Amino acid sequence: MKVGVIDYGVGNLGSVARALEEVGATPIRVDRSVDLHQVETMVLPGVGSFLQCKKILDQDGWSQAIRDEVDEYCKPLLGICLGMQLLADWGEEGLENGAQTPGLGFVPGRVVSLRKLGCAARLPHVGWNSISPRLENYLLKGVPKGTDFYFVHSYGFLLQSERECVATTQYGVEIAAVVNHGRVWGTQFHPEKSSRAGLKVLNNFVWGPEC
Amino acid sequence: MLTYCRRCVMPDTKPDLSLDEVGICNACRSYEKRKEVDWDFRYNELIRLLDKYRQPVGSNWDCIVPVSGGKDSTYQVVRILQLGLNPLCVTSTTCDLTPLGRSNIENLKRLGVDYVEITPNPIIRAKLNRLGLTQVGDISWPEHVGIFTIPVRAAVQFNVPLIVWGENSQDEYGGPAAAAENNVLTRRWLEEFGGLLGMRVSDLMGHAGIEKKHLINYIYPTDEELSRIGVTGLFLGHYIAWDGLSNALIAQANGFKTYEKAVEGSIVNYENLDNHQTGIHDYFKFLKFGFGRASDLACLHIRRGRLTRRDGLEAVRRLDGRFPWEYLGKSLEEILRPLEMTVDEFIRVCDKFTNKKIFIRDSSGAFKKDRDGNLTKINYDNS
Amino acid sequence: MLKVRVIPTLLWRSFGLVKGVGFDSWRRVGSVLPAIKVYNQRDVDELVLVDIDAHRSVKPPDYETFGEFGSECFVPLTIGGGIRCVEQVGFFLRNGADKVSVNTAAYDNPKLISEIAKLYGTQCVVASVDVRGTDGDGRWICFSEAGKRDTGRDVVSWVRELEGRGAGEILITSIERDGTMQGYDLDLVAAVSAAVSIPVIASGGAGNYQHMIDAVQQAGASSVAAASMFHFTEQTPAEAKKSMATVGIPVRQSFNN
Repeated sequence: MKVGVIDYGVGNLGSVARALEEVGATPIRVDRSVDLHQVETMVLPGVGSFLQCKKILDQDGWSQAIRDEVDEYCKPLLGICLGMQLLADWGEEGLENGAQTPGLGFVPGRVVSLRKLGCAARLPHVGWNSISPRLENYLLKGVPKGTDFYFVHSYGFLLQSERECVATTQYGVEIAAVVNHGRVWGTQFHPEKSSRAGLKVLNNFVWGPEC
Repeated sequence: MLTYCRRCVMPDTKPDLSLDEVGICNACRSYEKRKEVDWDFRYNELIRLLDKYRQPVGSNWDCIVPVSGGKDSTYQVVRILQLGLNPLCVTSTTCDLTPLGRSNIENLKRLGVDYVEITPNPIIRAKLNRLGLTQVGDISWPEHVGIFTIPVRAAVQFNVPLIVWGENSQDEYGGPAAAAENNVLTRRWLEEFGGLLGMRVSDLMGHAGIEKKHLINYIYPTDEELSRIGVTGLFLGHYIAWDGLSNALIAQANGFKTYEKAVEGSIVNYENLDNHQTGIHDYFKFLKFGFGRASDLACLHIRRGRLTRRDGLEAVRRLDGRFPWEYLGKSLEEILRPLEMTVDEFIRVCDKFTNKKIFIRDSSGAFKKDRDGNLTKINYDNS
Repeated sequence: MLKVRVIPTLLWRSFGLVKGVGFDSWRRVGSVLPAIKVYNQRDVDELVLVDIDAHRSVKPPDYETFGEFGSECFVPLTIGGGIRCVEQVGFFLRNGADKVSVNTAAYDNPKLISEIAKLYGTQCVVASVDVRGTDGDGRWICFSEAGKRDTGRDVVSWVRELEGRGAGEILITSIERDGTMQGYDLDLVAAVSAAVSIPVIASGGAGNYQHMIDAVQQAGASSVAAASMFHFTEQTPAEAKKSMATVGIPVRQSFNN
């Protein structure tokens, strides 16, 4: 299975690629949006701010290319951490006074700071935290309630509808940990840094419901 | 730059090796100390110890002797019989037993001993070989666990408290001082010095279809079981000066057969003859630490005055760490087959474990290799 | 709720891994990649990899090698040793590190901590502090350069300053206990935990599971680091967490599937 790891110049893709290899996929670092068509499924990582990453995705043709592959060619997409947040309609990180940047718009909702969500605990939310599944979804097949994953983030995904919330985690407030809309998934945690539980999630994503 | 011992040819990249202020390694220093050892005293100590464990005639074996079919095993059995003991010899079958190894085992039995061989499930063994190779860069990892665990399990099962091991590897190769003075093999010794690289058997469950039920032979007995039987393991090499070549001569005088030429990657024909995978094991040591079997053997002989350092260096440069295309006549492709690994895949695993600071690379960062895939070290001697 | 973490520390020196006693008598214990792969299998919560000679080196860190280690590591990785400027931190974070640990340079240039925190976030900055006890008066003095240089700083005031400057965690190591496997210096860990509100990783002296439990329950550590115990004995991180769980310490559960 050829999995495209979208390399738009932010963050470290080494672990994501190695983790995909570990679950039997063939990771391909795609660094030009025109090459995205050559892979069978896609992973969107992300480090930095929503605004900055979205800018690059737009400028270098990624936003359109990803949309085409998902909509026209039915390819699955997994967003990781900021990559998951970018799936939203809107995000406020990087702007002042509640102004918002449009996201990729795959999963209805917006991304706001955890403070705004009502989290009074220390930010960022960093460390191992357990998740609670809310919906049956093959991404979490074989991952029981209470499994720990590695989180590092200060913003959270505020979903428009419960129907897209696959799992949550608790950190002073309930936070969306896994989202899904159609063929598009997102994990707020880092599966590539979440040991065997993370590899299981990647395995499920790569190999689909039959795995 | 690699720094080599000024007396032997070992680089200081070897685990647990250190060079002193004048550049001599602790293995050479440890060998010097051997001359001060009162071997008569040690021999008498051994006799005294063994007497404690002698069983009433015919009631049970006096001791377990772990054997592989190599020269040291043959020597051990000869010595044990000389000492008037009635041993039960226990073999943990090697990963890929050679015909020569098998014939030496048959020879060893005919020295006149009782013998049991325990062969762990070969399908699982091959999976463990693969895991060992890809995870810790040591194809022989399961073999090492087996040879240190199966005889101890046998001691518990057969109710024989004494295990007579051969050499404490720390004695010759120079480990932390405390260990060199150790004369018993305990679980702690095994974890610290047994070459298990920090991987534990429990780490393997759930991988590649390996289940707890497959690993019985690899699980060390519990402290409770060990103390119930009173299991004690002693190193023969602590009591009687150990020398591989001398062991080989004694073994040969007792029917042990050697290889027709020097073993691939080595400089001698009388050791490491019982497992086709040993070539890969030694090659990975070379990739990780910059020394292979030729270095090990050159050092042993230099220390004992049988080889000059210059001749040792020459042999090492020519023979050490050659890509293991074959071992004891079996091709790499054949050796890898049970691991479900191709030669190409093997080369990728090699590159991953190759220490970039030890070997020459080209401008693109790839390792420089000759036509046969052999690497070149950044230096072969001090300056 | 966040979990108490069990963290093996890997010390790297020129060609491979080493482990010492009291920051001295270094033993080579193998090579880095196998260690990372083994710990991947073993339910560790994080790894710390420190180049113990880097503070002496004039050459830039070997990012390529670190990058390879980083991509093999499926748990968060902290890389340290010789970090002097924020540019280096950027390189490490792009090459597989999730956090960096800063020690010697923080004494010479405390602003470095705030610069890293500002640019990359406090969660990236692990302030590593090595100390020796003083005779009699129950204080600890900080040492830099892998335990060689006496900085004269008292540990309590120094960790407070580090927290104020934006350190996200404190890795506190007792030089005297290092490699002894006799147990953490609980008074030290307790003093540091009381002085700051950021997470404190206890290090130096772990020899068995009870030592880890004590560091958390008696001294308030939020994580426990160990090296010799995992290198040289049959004890494993997974078993450590099992023991901690039995006394009610929240730990990440083993995942087997």
